[in-house]
Amino acid sequence: MTKKLLGVWKTGDPFIWLAAGALATAVVMIAGLLVLICTQALGVFWPRSVAEIELVDGTQIVGPIVAEEPLPDAEGLYAGKQRILVQVGNRDFFAADFRWVDKANVRAISYPAELVTLEREEWGNFYGWLDALHVGSETVAKGSEQTWEALRARLPDARRLAARIRRLERKQLGDVNQSIEEQRLLLRRLEYRGAPEAARNEVLQTIASLQAEYDRLHGELEELRKQMEAEKVVLRASTGAVKELPVAYVVRAYRANTLSVPGKLRVYASKLWEFVSGDPRESNTEGGVFPAIFGTVLMVLIMSVAVVPFGVLAALYLREYARPGPWVRAVRIAVNNLAGVPSIVFGVFGLGFFVYFVGGTVDALFYPERLPSPTFGTGGILWASLTLALLTVPVVVVATEESLAAVPRELREGSYALGATKYETIKNVVLPSALPGVLTGLILAMARGAGEVAPLMITGVVKLAPTLPLDSHWPFLHLERKFMHLGFHIYDVGFQSPNVEAAKPMVYATTLLLVGIVVVLNLAAIFLRARVRRRLSTGVF
Amino acid sequence: MRPDSARAALWAARTARRRLADVLAQHVVAIGGFATVASIVTMLAFLGAETWPLMRGARVVAREQWRAAEGPAILAVSTDEYRERVQLFRADGTIELVRPHDGAVTDRLALPGVEGRTVVAVRRNSLGQVFASLSDGSLLAVSLQVRPVYEAEGRRFVSELSRLGEWKLFSPENPPSVFAASSWRDGSLAIAWVNERGSVSFWSLSTTTSLFGESESTEQRGDIGVGGVTTLILDARGTRLVVGSHDGTVEQWDLRDPANPVLIDRRRATRADSVGITALAYLIGDQSFVVGDREGQVSVWQPVRDPEVASGWRLARIHEFAPHGAAVRSINASQRDKGFVTGDAAGEVALRHATSEQTLLRLTAGDAPVVAVAMAPKADGLVSVLEGGTLTSWAIENPHPEITLRTLFGKVWYEGYPEPAYVWQSTGGTDDFEPKFSLVPLVFGTVKGTVYALLFAVPIAVLAALYTAMFSPPGLRNVIKPTVEVMAALPSVVLGFVAGLVLAPALERHMPGFLLAMALGPIVVGGLGALCFWLPARWRVRLPRGFEVVGAGLALILVGWSFWHASAWLEVWWFQGDFRHWLAETLNTRFDQRNCVVVGLAMGFAVIPLIFSITEEALANVPKRLVSASLALGATPWQTAVRVVLPAASPGIFSAIMIGFGRAVGETMIVLMATGNTPVLDWSIFTGMRTLSANIAVEIPEAPYGSTLYRVLFLAALLLFAVTFVVNTAAEIVRQRLRQRFQQL
Repeated sequence: MTKKLLGVWKTGDPFIWLAAGALATAVVMIAGLLVLICTQALGVFWPRSVAEIELVDGTQIVGPIVAEEPLPDAEGLYAGKQRILVQVGNRDFFAADFRWVDKANVRAISYPAELVTLEREEWGNFYGWLDALHVGSETVAKGSEQTWEALRARLPDARRLAARIRRLERKQLGDVNQSIEEQRLLLRRLEYRGAPEAARNEVLQTIASLQAEYDRLHGELEELRKQMEAEKVVLRASTGAVKELPVAYVVRAYRANTLSVPGKLRVYASKLWEFVSGDPRESNTEGGVFPAIFGTVLMVLIMSVAVVPFGVLAALYLREYARPGPWVRAVRIAVNNLAGVPSIVFGVFGLGFFVYFVGGTVDALFYPERLPSPTFGTGGILWASLTLALLTVPVVVVATEESLAAVPRELREGSYALGATKYETIKNVVLPSALPGVLTGLILAMARGAGEVAPLMITGVVKLAPTLPLDSHWPFLHLERKFMHLGFHIYDVGFQSPNVEAAKPMVYATTLLLVGIVVVLNLAAIFLRARVRRRLSTGVF
Repeated sequence: MRPDSARAALWAARTARRRLADVLAQHVVAIGGFATVASIVTMLAFLGAETWPLMRGARVVAREQWRAAEGPAILAVSTDEYRERVQLFRADGTIELVRPHDGAVTDRLALPGVEGRTVVAVRRNSLGQVFASLSDGSLLAVSLQVRPVYEAEGRRFVSELSRLGEWKLFSPENPPSVFAASSWRDGSLAIAWVNERGSVSFWSLSTTTSLFGESESTEQRGDIGVGGVTTLILDARGTRLVVGSHDGTVEQWDLRDPANPVLIDRRRATRADSVGITALAYLIGDQSFVVGDREGQVSVWQPVRDPEVASGWRLARIHEFAPHGAAVRSINASQRDKGFVTGDAAGEVALRHATSEQTLLRLTAGDAPVVAVAMAPKADGLVSVLEGGTLTSWAIENPHPEITLRTLFGKVWYEGYPEPAYVWQSTGGTDDFEPKFSLVPLVFGTVKGTVYALLFAVPIAVLAALYTAMFSPPGLRNVIKPTVEVMAALPSVVLGFVAGLVLAPALERHMPGFLLAMALGPIVVGGLGALCFWLPARWRVRLPRGFEVVGAGLALILVGWSFWHASAWLEVWWFQGDFRHWLAETLNTRFDQRNCVVVGLAMGFAVIPLIFSITEEALANVPKRLVSASLALGATPWQTAVRVVLPAASPGIFSAIMIGFGRAVGETMIVLMATGNTPVLDWSIFTGMRTLSANIAVEIPEAPYGSTLYRVLFLAALLLFAVTFVVNTAAEIVRQRLRQRFQQL
């Protein structure tokens, strides 16, 4: 027996198993996380059937059943009792979006065909019945079925009208407004420089004509709004409360209980499309994340422009030019510390150095007419990108160095033997061979940059940016603008919004998108690196 | 011949150009290398430069001194917001506005209705209300506002005097030279004075307005029977009276019910009985007050809860300052912060700050005793008047008086606290809030979070790396490494979201089961390993390599799943049905939903891949010769792994842990989202914490550029920078040494 025990000790089987268990734990953790995010996020856009729940006391509750879980009794035990979570929606009728219902109190649950789900511009989803449809003072349709048909027929036109109004508000009026603002700044600059009266008058005239244009557009807008308000649908909630809603405020309408699978897929696709291409609604808890995607991508691109030259030069220096010594060690320590210093410290540095110091100086030199309101002296996409570039330099350096080291000596020597200078060798032989490595580094840096949040939230990210940093106004790319970011969107919607429970689906969807981007970038880098290693290890010659 | 020479020239030019390009490239590349070092150094220097002003004391920017014009005695002095008009209150009831830079009197006002009488004493408060005790025993209250008016040629000052009221309060034979006034609020006023018997009398006026707009005033008078009173002060509401006496005691009285004044506490504030109190002043907020005595001692006092005292409150000395060389004659509190200025009988003036217990400036105004000192409303200047009429005005720069190393890292006795404490509370709702900038709770929180994360991550990461490097089949290895890489790449905001919104509420309901599973999981897996060893040999050889991972994984999932679901029963059996309640009762610990278990798991998740990769690399790089030699000598793979490979790679593992530590110390989003961010000072795993990094993220968006908070947050960043710099550099050096050693082996 003792011998056997000793044997266990010698072979260490239990400990090997323990080590294997540790590995399994890590794998289970990552797999569990990814599965959780995927399952939760992919279900977000699926149109859920709307239940009509009748309670024992006669009250009616309408809405999709979101969850069912055991209900603890007074002692905290789960004795087989269940409760269900119903998303009652209808924020304009009820105080809370969700309601827990004790299953013991439920008399019946049914799924009537005529229950509709309306996604709206305001007040969240509506679950209930349609009563009538009015145009002006005239009733066009009455009753559930007729109104549904009428709504379906009129919805596309109403949506077009809503889109036109939004375009007018945002784009056309915004454009005129911006032109007026530019002219005003021009005027101030002229005053600042003491330009002659005539020049100033000219600007004043332009402003007057722009103002007239603004008034005209505004009149048009009022007209359209009146037109929109005329077409109204009458909604009835489970409590019997009735409300009129302009048809144009309905984003999407469907009868989830009668939808076939292809029909549900169509709704799913439409919601998914809205998610990736639309603007956020309802203080970011509904709608799309297009501005956040756009901001993230643009920020990462600007970052890449800064980080690649910096990183590649540093790697070239370390591998090709530097002679071993204390200076090289200093550079290595610097690279290592750029990788190891917490990202929030970069953020603080970015805020103090780029935003307040550099930005403040730029403002004082180039935009004195706008002071005291800052232009570059406040957080913006340029400063955020530069801060992240500093943060991701080591990633590029490490990957580039590795690929430079892997370029066979024969290649270089061949180039030197043909009389090439060092620069020519590097430019024509070494760098092209090392290019996949540089690319790997760049991809990894992009992945890191896309996922980083802490430094961004103090150097230029906002929860809702009124304009994209890229638009049709000169100079097109507005580096001073604040922007939205997927990672910050997760933090903001998940933790700063007033109704976290209702916002959760949006957070999951955004999380999946961000994780997807980061994982795909990383897998691409891994794949690329593996290919390079294989190619170089087999040798070119 | 010609074409050849042309070609040669062309060739030479080309060579020169190529050389130039080569040299240029060399320099450009060198700049690239230099830039990395430069950016780190710039970061350090910039963070340091932004932090440095915190440690600098106050300094005098300008000093002006002049003699006041001959005339009746000067009783009090004050200055306006812009420090451009010094106001002198004279005994004949005139107020002179004087320009400090040339001493010229620009304006002369007269207190209304003083004619024929003289002013015995004047009190002025921060609202611009002036109270005068007149020679016929009346009290006159006026409002004096000095405001700037902007005109084409610059700033001009307009003064407005309006009479608030006059009351016959004092005996005409003996009008008091020592009295105190509350502020005037819509017809309510309280006055306390030292009467002819040397004890205290007080009077209060309250006006109530009925629904119909008729106001009714009631007056009340009272006496407090103490003797030998030298000085007294009232708070702005007129309910808290502080009295200082000849025998060195201070008393605080509650005057909320004027008919029945209640003694809060009496303490001796001086070193000896014979030393009298000479000056008193409430600090902004009227909670703590400054006491100055005849010996020149200066201290700050406040009432602190104490059940042993009859009133339930004890007066406690919370700050002591470097003393004056002579008796303290006048004290004036800042209207901006907890600073104040004291003036003594030898003509010395000192600027001090209560929270930091600093004497920031010691200034000499002259040789004569100080009559009055005053701080400018924006706390950027001082004025003093000496006996004999010497006036001095100082412009001072004093941006961060509340910061010293002691207030950052030591215990400080704050207003309203029963004892000295480490507190971080940077902003409050009111203007008289005392900012509390102790970094200790934040450093503690950082260490706490890091320790729990590493406790979770290090065993898992190191063991997993050991398995991967030593025991796993190559196929498995090729899957594990990219998986871990993906794990490392997951944005921390995602981990924070899952930890804060999914894991925390779930763990809250399953905590006992989870903890038990954590404890039992390794035992079960180890036991399985032992069982496997006892399997008949012909079965054992059939098990595929890497089987352990699947087996252990399934076992762990099973254990986790069953305890997760049994958690409610566990709570009933062991914890009387409520784990939180049990914690509070038995262990006296709070339970936060977002606690260190959650943070440990989430931050562990972030750190595991980092530690894993470096450890795995170090283990895999141990020369194969060593492994083969060990195996050839008959050691089992496990013995080889533990006795040969692990020791050889231990510096690498150490550096992996260091790098993991550096990552955990600075992690921001996870702690921001998965903890409650309350700065607490306890080690309990069931409470949250606030780390340096999360604190920066939370507070820096609201910190005005250049403010104390802004700079303290930069200091926090500098601290993080320094810690990670040291840790990373050490880890890097260890790794380089290890690499060299492996090459030699």
